[in-house]
Amino acid sequence: MPKTKITLFSVLLAVLFISGCSTSAQVKIDSPFPTVVSKPKPVKASIVFSEDFKSYIASPNSKTSIDLGSAQTELLSNAFAGLFKEIEFVSAAAEVTFDNALVITPSVQEVQISTPSDTYLNVYEVWIKYSLDIKTANGDLVDSWFMPAYGKTPDSFMLSKTNAIEEAAVIALRDAGAKLLLDFYRIPSVYNWLVTERVLDKEQEELKEEQP
Amino acid sequence: MNKLFALCAATLLAGCGATTTIDEYRPNNQVMDINSQQSVVILGRRDAGHYDTDREFIDCVANKMKGADIGVFPEQQFVDAIYPWFEPRTAPKGLKRLRRLMEDAAIKEQIERNGIRYLVWLDGSTETHDKGGSISCAIGPGGGGCFGFAQWDKSSIYEAIVWDLTNLTEKGRLRVDSSGTSYLLGIVAPIPLLTPVKNDACASLGTQLKQFFTVDQPR
Repeated sequence: MPKTKITLFSVLLAVLFISGCSTSAQVKIDSPFPTVVSKPKPVKASIVFSEDFKSYIASPNSKTSIDLGSAQTELLSNAFAGLFKEIEFVSAAAEVTFDNALVITPSVQEVQISTPSDTYLNVYEVWIKYSLDIKTANGDLVDSWFMPAYGKTPDSFMLSKTNAIEEAAVIALRDAGAKLLLDFYRIPSVYNWLVTERVLDKEQEELKEEQP
Repeated sequence: MNKLFALCAATLLAGCGATTTIDEYRPNNQVMDINSQQSVVILGRRDAGHYDTDREFIDCVANKMKGADIGVFPEQQFVDAIYPWFEPRTAPKGLKRLRRLMEDAAIKEQIERNGIRYLVWLDGSTETHDKGGSISCAIGPGGGGCFGFAQWDKSSIYEAIVWDLTNLTEKGRLRVDSSGTSYLLGIVAPIPLLTPVKNDACASLGTQLKQFFTVDQPR
């Protein structure tokens, strides 16, 4: 083998070897999410998933990117369907067709990660901070609700950085779905809106009709 | 000479045994019936900040239960089937909350459809502490080797709580406490003498848990 070829081969091997030590991670969330088990309230809602939200890629630091867009859209679509009996998904507030409905626009405020090298703990952690802009169909603001979600890996043993961040992000997204279903109707301003719109009365009537 | 070797080996290996204690509490001595259509789900508590009950341990206990012909519903499948009510944030910590959950017809239906009769909560972890000694390895043109001695203690503490999902009552509690010391000898080659603390805790807990249930045999 000529000397130049040997040198080239050695350089290539060295580059491959060093790139294996790289600490950057590009994560795409592909995991499917389960359907929620929940009886929706007789409320109409329009969910505004903007193009930015649907294709959102978080960059918690210069070496890490997490493609959350499609996963968070799927997860939140599923969770909202468990909250509202009648629901439509639109890309902009101008496309809302429902009257007398809630118009909810979710957005991501911040994504943070921590790795064992940052914290000296044996886990990877992901925080996703959502904000839900809740308005009536007339455009009156009901509330702007801050919704944090958290996920961590059980440990970091035998996990690559990419796989570990993906696992923690999936747990954080599931946590977002859980928080939404658990707490949405506990938001005082949303509860007041339900009372004003007599939604709770309608729900009681439905329950009576269902009972034999 | 052979006897001396055997004695030394036996003494060395005996030092690697784990000490395991099991405490059991049952409100009464009634056995828990379970038929072939019903199953048990074993869930790990994951709401503590500093540890997660590891899936490996849960799988290990589940395998011990399966060995006794008790149907065990997979943990992740259960958590997905009833999403989001058994996530770390939402999982019921007590019977009061479980009863409220089961008032939801959709949740009750999912549990009944999957034939889940009993729920076993597992909570605990295995920790390493009291590390001592040192071992170093070197390699050179003439060969390599390890020299030294290291030791560490491990302890596994797990608690199992059994809930009946039909009567919505607690059927019993088990607590396993297992500890032992492992050694690593460096005599040219590294010789590990590991104490299977977690396996011992799993085997003891699984065996004891099996005795809680009586499988109804089809006639």
